[in-house]
Formats: sequence, C-alpha cells, structure tokens
Amino acid sequence: MPDGARIELAAVCCAHGRQEVVRSVDLVVEPGRRVALTGTNGSGKTTLLRAVLGLHRASSGTIAVDGHRARTAADWDRRRRAAAWIPQRQATGRFPLLAGELLASSGAAPAATDAAGRLGVGDLVQRPLHTLSGGQLQRMYLARALGCVAAGAQALLADEPTAALDFAGQDDAAELLASLPVTLLVVTHDRALAGRCDRVLEMADGQLRETSAEAAL
Amino acid sequence: MSASLGELLQLVPVQRGLAGLVLGAIGLPIVGVVIIGLDIMPVRFAMMHVALFGIAVGMLVGLDPLLCALVACGTSGAALTPLARTPSGLSGAMGLLMSLAIAAALLVLSVSGVNANGAFELLWGSILATRTPDVVLLAVLAVVIPGLFLLRRRQLALLLHDRELAACSGVRVDRLTFALLLLVAVAVAGAIRLTGALLVDALTLLPALAARRVANSLRGMVFAAVVIGLVVNIAGFLLALVLDFPPGPVLVLLAGTVTLVLHVVPDRRKQRWHRSPASAH
Repeated sequence: MPDGARIELAAVCCAHGRQEVVRSVDLVVEPGRRVALTGTNGSGKTTLLRAVLGLHRASSGTIAVDGHRARTAADWDRRRRAAAWIPQRQATGRFPLLAGELLASSGAAPAATDAAGRLGVGDLVQRPLHTLSGGQLQRMYLARALGCVAAGAQALLADEPTAALDFAGQDDAAELLASLPVTLLVVTHDRALAGRCDRVLEMADGQLRETSAEAAL
Repeated sequence: MSASLGELLQLVPVQRGLAGLVLGAIGLPIVGVVIIGLDIMPVRFAMMHVALFGIAVGMLVGLDPLLCALVACGTSGAALTPLARTPSGLSGAMGLLMSLAIAAALLVLSVSGVNANGAFELLWGSILATRTPDVVLLAVLAVVIPGLFLLRRRQLALLLHDRELAACSGVRVDRLTFALLLLVAVAVAGAIRLTGALLVDALTLLPALAARRVANSLRGMVFAAVVIGLVVNIAGFLLALVLDFPPGPVLVLLAGTVTLVLHVVPDRRKQRWHRSPASAH
C-alpha cells in the first residue's frame, strides 16, 4: 500500500458570507499522489484547502481523508494530525512565539529542527517569529511541516509554500516537498513546484478543471 | 521617617493590604498578559459594567451582591467564547457587552428602586480596606492562574500567537479560550472589588505591557510581568505610605512610568537580531 492518505471531496461548496467561492467541487487524490491547484487570485483555492482542515466551514458536500469525515472536535483533531498545513500567510502573530516553539508544535521537534537546519534557518530557532524575514518564516513553516510528517501526518496541504523564497530556494523547497512520502495537495503559482506534481488542476470562479502545468501557469 | 514607616507596617490593615498586593502581583499580571494576547483591553470597563448589573440584580433579589457580580462577570466572559473565532470579534464584543450591561443595570436599579449610589460604591475598593476573605481570594488566584499557565504553557503560547496555528497543532482552542475568558472575567471583577477600578490596571495590564517590551516569548513575558508587578506593587505601596499619599494613584503612576521608560529605552534585541549572520536570507 502506498504511503499517504486518500483525500476525497464530493460536491463541496464554500461561501464567504452570501458569496459562494467554491462551487460543487469533486476531487479525489489517491494516496501518495501530488496535486497542484492553480488559478487566479480569489478563485477559491485557499478556501478549498482550508475547508479540508475545518478552518473554513463547507456549506455543503462531503470531505473525507482516508474515508473519515470530521464531525466532532475530536474528529477535527484527528484530521489535523493526519493532514499537515502550510498556511498562505504565515502569521508573525499578535504575540511573541519563538521559532523553536513553532517547530515543536509539529509534534516532532527534533525532526522539525533538523529540517530547519537543512533549510538554512537552523540557527534562528531561538528568535521570535516576528523578527524573521518573509523567506525565513516560510522556511520555518516548511520545516514545521516536515516535522508534522515525521510525527505521522499522511498528507500535506500547502498554500503557496514557496511564494516568499528566492529562485534557488523555490527549487530546493519544490524538490523537498515532492520527495515527501505523503499525499500532497498544493496551491501554487510556482512552475518548478507544479512541474513536480502528478496532476495540475486549475480553479476558476470556484470550480475545478484538469489542465497541464504549462497551460495553467 | 523610617520609624513611622515601621510603625505603619505594624498596622493590620497595612499588613493585609501589602499581603493582597504581593499575592495580586503573582496572578494578576499573568491575566494582563492574556488580556493583551486576546486583544481585549476594554475588558476592565466591560467587567465593571457587568459587575454593576450583577450587583443590581443581587440587591433586587436579596442575594449577596458581590457574589452575583462575580457570577455575572464569569458567565458573560465565558459566553463570549464563540466570538473569539474572528480576529476582531472579542474586542468589538467587549464594547457591546459594556453598553448592554450598563443599560440593563440602570433599568434594574430604576425598576427595583434600589439606591444606585449604593451599587456603585461596591465597585470602589481600597487596598487599605482589604478584608481577610479578599486576601484569600487573591491567594487562590495566585495559585490557580500560574498553575493554569504552567500546565498549558505550550497551548497558551500557540493560541495567543495564532488561533488557527494552535488548532492545527492539536490545541482545543474553544475550550482553552472559554477557560481563559472565564478566568480573566472573574480575576478582573475580583480585582476591581478588592482594589478599586483604578488599581486594576496597575496590577494587570501595566506590568504585562512593560514585560512585552523586554521579553521574546510567552514564558519570558509572564516571568517579567510577575517580577515587574511585584517590584512596582511593593515599592509603590511603601512610597505611598512614606509620602502619606493614597496607594492606588501612586501604584498606577509608578507602573505607568516603568512601562513608559521601558518603551522609550532603545531595544537592544533588534540590533542583536540584525547582526545575526542568518538574517540575510
């Protein structure tokens, strides 16, 4: 059996207020596959990803990870352990948090700290997050995601995980993400990352369609 | 002058007041750190009005007004939990709660014919009028609040930094927010009664605001806030005794001065971070 979780979305709709931003999306990602979500700003990509983690409520439809639908708080805890997350806007936060504390929140602090070292930010773990640059912060979140995988996450939901990196950093991060033994669902405008995915889907006006990396970007 | 200070310190009300301030400085600055983290600075005003409503209801139905005030504050604080899901939800809700509570309190006082001045007077505490039960309540808070911090330090740090990151790190954010709001509401309401509305800031917010300037993490902030609270409370109280001034304003002015000085002094941490070789990424 391949590593990774099976992610299944059926007729998922999400709204911001009265405006529907995700419209009846059906998607199956088989275990261990890598899927890139592309599309214009505001097309619903981030909302769809957040809905999988329960950070945005789906107004209708079903979302299952490895066949499990989340209904209770305990279900959502399990979902969030099974699916690691790299947010689009990495919060510097309204309150000080040390980079080391961010890495420890992955559930596997040694693995995350080791990953931070490989990503070139290992000597910043004692620094508060709000003192890091955008690129350093993104590397820290990448390292945290690797820690989550080490802690047992079977899927990684990443929202523009290379957007704040320089070209060399984007290549390294894309290689790293693509090499993980998990199911990857990634929102990206980065050709290097989309090119390493098995499928590229384009989201437009809340709906998904299959495309190729070249056509989508 | 020192002889008269020594004599003053022999007086039981002075000893109780000092004990109350020392115990208050252990728990209440941590509440101040949480207030800043949850961005609910107007909580003092909101709780004053809710406490007044509780007092009015207590006087109307013949129950202990102060107990009713604590219950009203605890209940309203906990009821705000769902509003914490949006970044601005809580601070806006505090304003709404304040307006609704004062309107309801005035209505109850008017309908029941209770003397409004009597209700208001219960909110004006004085550190020199501290009673033994008040000191006991502060002692309980001095144990419960640091205890909760020690038990839930990691979860608190994540929740106060970013609610969604906390949720994705296995923190039950609704449950923890509920506990924090309950604790903040009860602690602030209790402190208002014990020390008067003015002194609440010296005990809670000001040490936390000063600590924010010198610390980089939740643990550092809590430690610094408690140390600053202890130093300011003891020094301010003794200064007030020596000068024969009312303790409340002296404590607030001293705490405010310490906070201001710490914000004016250049932050050497930034220079160190900018010198760090890895900051070039």
